[in-house]
Amino acid sequence: MTFAPEHDVPIPYMQRTRDYYVALGYDNPYRWAHFEDVPFTPLPTPLAQARVALITTAAPYQPGVGDQGPGAPYNAAAKFYKVYSDATTAAPDLRISHVGYDRKHTTAEDPNTWFPLARLREAAAAGRIGALTPRFHGAPTNRSHRVTLETDAPELLRRCREDGADVAVLVPS
Amino acid sequence: MCHQTVSLVARHLEAGGLPTVIMGCAKDIVEHCGVPRFLFSDFPLGNSAGRPFDAASQAATLELALRVLEGAPSGRTTVQSPLRWRDDASWKLDYSNLDKMTPEEIAEKRKEFDVVKEIIKTKPGRT
Repeated sequence: MTFAPEHDVPIPYMQRTRDYYVALGYDNPYRWAHFEDVPFTPLPTPLAQARVALITTAAPYQPGVGDQGPGAPYNAAAKFYKVYSDATTAAPDLRISHVGYDRKHTTAEDPNTWFPLARLREAAAAGRIGALTPRFHGAPTNRSHRVTLETDAPELLRRCREDGADVAVLVPS
Repeated sequence: MCHQTVSLVARHLEAGGLPTVIMGCAKDIVEHCGVPRFLFSDFPLGNSAGRPFDAASQAATLELALRVLEGAPSGRTTVQSPLRWRDDASWKLDYSNLDKMTPEEIAEKRKEFDVVKEIIKTKPGRT
């Protein structure tokens, strides 16, 4: 009997980044969000009749703030700080240079790996889901839990409701 | 940070009556936060929705997420995609791993990080 290698487990990102930033001179370890209770809402309608909202952490391309990839180094200037929305019928130019994706093992050349709009459109065409909502939404990635919980999340819920969403698919990049 | 953001948002949407599913690659961050439904792909960060230039893998990943949305019996439901990034798992040893860096590389990263901190200070809603 042969077991898989010990390191063949999901990467312990919290521990890795904690150790990493301490080594980089950040002596105040980040406190990751952690809750005891988890809210749960059953599906109100079969997916074949549901309107699906798509939420991404990818950023719209901004001319003039430096290299945004694919393959660009981390670009803090390309971050965004307010919820945004765009049509799901459009072909948005989204980038992920503002987040800490794995730059060694992925190049971010194919947006479909972190933004499944094309695949969701196909699912709608095939009748697997009822429809996409008219807009998708962008969630700012903020170190402050308070800003996300008190400002961005309520705004995203408001926009999803405005669009008549029945369910939401959230995809971090 | 992306994974924590969507985890917090998913919790808020769900509490507001909107069922959610997260598609993601950072299992520990999402589960530490606690979310209703999570499809985990054991892929490098940046590939939450499937392999690059592989529509079949992306469609299979989305289909699994939709099934998690339909079938999760309660909160904190995690399903792991059976897809593997590659047969050899050694890529998992690289991300932000100090054990794989020389002191010179760490010093270089430290300098880069100081620059990033300065840029972020000039922005609103510091992150």
